[in-house]
Amino acid sequence: MRNLMKKYNYVPLLVVLFSLGITSCMEDLPRYNEFTGYEFSSLDPNAGQWKLVLHSSPEQIALASPSATGSAELLKELEDVKARSKNATAAQREAVAYWTNNPLVRWNEIALELATKYNLIPAPNPDGTYPVPDPTNPSKYPKFPYSHPPYTSRMLAYLSVAQYDGLIMAWHYKYKFKRQAPYQLDTQIKSAYEANGLYSYPSDGAVAAIASRDVLTAMFPLEKDYLAQKAQEHLESLLVAGIHVASDLEAGQLIGAGVAKTALARASTDGMKNAQAPKAISDSIKNAAKARFGWSWENQETPQRLVGLVPLFGRVRLWNVPNVEAIRPGPPPAPGSPVFQEAVSELKRYANTLTPNQRRIANFWNDGLNTYTPPGHWNRFAKEEVVANKLNPVRTARVFAYLNMAIMDAGVGCWDAKYYYHYPRPIQTIAGFKTILGTPNFPAYTSGHASFSGAAAEVMAHFFPGNAIQFRKWAEEASMSRIYGGIHYSFDASAGLTQGKQAASFAIAKAKLDNAE
Amino acid sequence: MTYRLRFLSLLFASLGILTISRAQTPLDGLMMPKGEICVALMYEQGTWDRYWEGSVVRVNQNIGTFTRQMGMPMIVGGITDKINVILSLPYVKTSASAGQLAGVQGIQDLGLSVKAIVVEKTLGKGKLTGFTNLSLSTPASNYLSDYMPFSLGFGANELGIRGIGLYELDKGPYFRASYSYLHRGITEAERDFYYADGAYYTSKMDVPDAFLSQVTLGSWMFNKKLRVEASLTTVRSTSGDDIRVYSMPQPTNKVDVDRIEGFAQYYFGSKRSFGIIASYHHLFSGRNMGQFSGYGLGLTYQFKALK
Repeated sequence: MRNLMKKYNYVPLLVVLFSLGITSCMEDLPRYNEFTGYEFSSLDPNAGQWKLVLHSSPEQIALASPSATGSAELLKELEDVKARSKNATAAQREAVAYWTNNPLVRWNEIALELATKYNLIPAPNPDGTYPVPDPTNPSKYPKFPYSHPPYTSRMLAYLSVAQYDGLIMAWHYKYKFKRQAPYQLDTQIKSAYEANGLYSYPSDGAVAAIASRDVLTAMFPLEKDYLAQKAQEHLESLLVAGIHVASDLEAGQLIGAGVAKTALARASTDGMKNAQAPKAISDSIKNAAKARFGWSWENQETPQRLVGLVPLFGRVRLWNVPNVEAIRPGPPPAPGSPVFQEAVSELKRYANTLTPNQRRIANFWNDGLNTYTPPGHWNRFAKEEVVANKLNPVRTARVFAYLNMAIMDAGVGCWDAKYYYHYPRPIQTIAGFKTILGTPNFPAYTSGHASFSGAAAEVMAHFFPGNAIQFRKWAEEASMSRIYGGIHYSFDASAGLTQGKQAASFAIAKAKLDNAE
Repeated sequence: MTYRLRFLSLLFASLGILTISRAQTPLDGLMMPKGEICVALMYEQGTWDRYWEGSVVRVNQNIGTFTRQMGMPMIVGGITDKINVILSLPYVKTSASAGQLAGVQGIQDLGLSVKAIVVEKTLGKGKLTGFTNLSLSTPASNYLSDYMPFSLGFGANELGIRGIGLYELDKGPYFRASYSYLHRGITEAERDFYYADGAYYTSKMDVPDAFLSQVTLGSWMFNKKLRVEASLTTVRSTSGDDIRVYSMPQPTNKVDVDRIEGFAQYYFGSKRSFGIIASYHHLFSGRNMGQFSGYGLGLTYQFKALK
C-alpha cells in the first residue's frame, strides 16, 4: 500500500499544475469598444454654422449668457469641480475613463446593446396565433419594442439626428460665449482628457447625455431607469473630469432635452405606429401583389405567422430620399423564369458545397434575432472609424446622423419593395430546401442586408474615403452572405445593393451642402 | 479476467455523458492490465421534442423532433496495471424533423484521458478502490459551435479532473460515486458580436465550466458474463446565461442536466474477448438543454498487445 502511494504521488502535483493552467487561461472578454479619450484631430470651430437636420436655427433653443470669468458664481462652481475631482471615488474615476471625451461612441453603443436586448421575435400563443408588442403596455409579453432591423434603423436615425442638431447648437454657443474650461480657469483643476481648449459652455457631453437618454427612453420605455442612471453617471463624470462646471451642464441639458423633443415629435407622426399592419391590410397588400405579378410570399414557420414584419414600414417618412418610388427597383424575375432558375441552381450549389470561408461570411453578417441587426453592425464600424480618425463629438454626430438617415431611408425603400413585389423566399419556392440561416418573416426582394449595407458603405466611403474600398467590399460581402446562407436569391442582393447606394446618394448630396466640408 | 471485464465496463460508463455534447472520459472505477488493448465501436442515438429555455419547457414546431446520432471509435490501453489511457474520436450527426434549418455532421472532439489508481483497500466483504482521472478533449474539426442546437459540440477544449470511489462486494454488487470538475475553454464563433446578459464585442465565447457528479449501482451476474448498472448523473454549469425567449441556444448558456441511465453488457467468444453493450438514457430535468432520451449500442474487442 505504501509502495502504491509512493508510485503515484505525482498525481496531486499534476492536479495543482492543471489548476494553475486553468486560472492562467481565463481572460476578460470585451463588453464595449476599449478606447480611452484622445486628442481630437480638429475642434471644428465653425460647426455652429453647419446645417441642422430638424431645426432652422442654432438658437432655436435659447441659452442665457454664462456667468462671467471671475464672477462669484463661477468661482463657486470651480470650487465644486475641484472638490469633486479631489474626492472622486474609484467608481467615479472609472466612469470618467469609460465615457471618454467622445461619449457619443458610448451612447451609440448603449443603443446597440438595447437594440440587441429587444431583438426577440414573439413566440406563438398556445392556440397557434402570435402576439404583437403593445407600446401602450410595454412590459406585457412580448415586450415592446421588438427591435427588428427596421425598428433599429429608425431608433438609430432619431438618436443620431437629435445628437447632431444638439451638438451643432452646442458648438454655436461655445464659440459665441467662448467660456473657458475649468482646467483653463483654475490651474489646480486638471482635465482628465487631452486639454484641447474647447470652450465649455454649454457642455457637449450634457447635450449628448440628455438627448440620448430622452430619445432612447422613448424607443425603449422599459429602460427608463437604466438610461436615467447612465445619463446621471455621464453628467457627473463631466464635472469629475474637470472639463465642465455645473452651469455648462445645465445649459447642455436644456439643449439635449429640446432636440430630443423635436426629434420625438417627428417620430410620433412618421407612420411607424401603423407599420405593423393588421391582417386585413396585410392580406390586401398580398392580394394586390398576387394580382399584379402572379406570385406572393408566405411565411413558412409552424404555426404560420399570418402577417409579415412591418408591412407598412415602406410608408414611413423618409429623411433625404424624396419619395420611396425614387429608389424602388424594377420587378424581380418571375419564379420559373430562366433567370430565376439560374439563381435557384446557385443556391443549391452553395447549399451542397459551401466553403468554410463562405460559411464564415454567412455567419459573420447574419445579424439576425438577438443581435444589433445590420444597421447596428454598420454603426459599430462607424464607431471604430470615428475613434481611429480621432473625430470630435460634433463631427462624430455628423457621421452617425447621415449614416443612420441613409440606412433608414434604404430600409424604408427596401420594405416598400418587399411588400410591393411580395416575392417568395427560397424555402417557399424550392421544395425541401434547407438553410444554415433562419429565414426572416418578410418577403425576399430586395435584400435588407444588401440595402442597409449598400447605403451604409457609401456614406462611410464619403466620410472616410481612405477606407472606401473596404466599406464597399463589406457591403458586397454582407449581400453575398444571404445567398450563402440560402435565404436570398442573387437578384435580391444585387437590387438591394443598388437601392441602398441610391438611398445614400441623397444623404451624401445633402451632406455636401451642410457647410462641414 | 476481472481486469478485462472491468476495463470493458470502463467504456460503457462513458456512454452516460455522451448526450450532453461530446464523447468523454470514463467515470467508472475499473482498470485494465498492462499491455492490453481494447478497441470499441459505439453508436448512440438521442432525440428530444422539447427543451428547456432557461428552466421553462418549450416545444418548437420548427424543430419538431431533434435527433443526434453518434458513432465513436475508442481505444483503451493499459500502460501499467495502475495507469490506463483512453482515446476517443466521435463522429456526430444532427437533424430536425421540421423546419428549414440544415443539420450537420462531422468529426467532433478528440478525447484523451489518463486514469490512475490511488487507493486500494480491502474493506469488509469487498474492496474499496479510489481513482483519479485527468482528461483533455479538443475539437478535431472546424465545426461551428455557435450553431446550436445543431452544432456537433461546444467547440472548446475541456480539461476534466475527477475523483472516483468504488466499493465492490466479492459477490458481485457494487456502488460507485464520482465527482468531476470540467473546465471548458473559449470557443470561437464566426460573428464578433453577441449577447449573453449584455453585449460582447468579440468572437470568443466563454463556455461555462461544470461539475459533474454520478452515482451508480450495479452488479455482475451469470458468472460474470453479464453486468447491469443504473446511474444517476447531474451536470451543473458554474456560470452562463439562459436561452432567451424563443431564441437560439448558444455555447455561453448555463447547461444543467439530470439524467438516469441503465445499461447492460454481455461477454462472449473464447476467453470472452468480445463484448456487446446496450444502454438507455433519459433526461428528467435540465436547463438550456433538449430533453434527450435515447439508447446506445456497442461492440468491443480486447486483446493482449504486449507481454
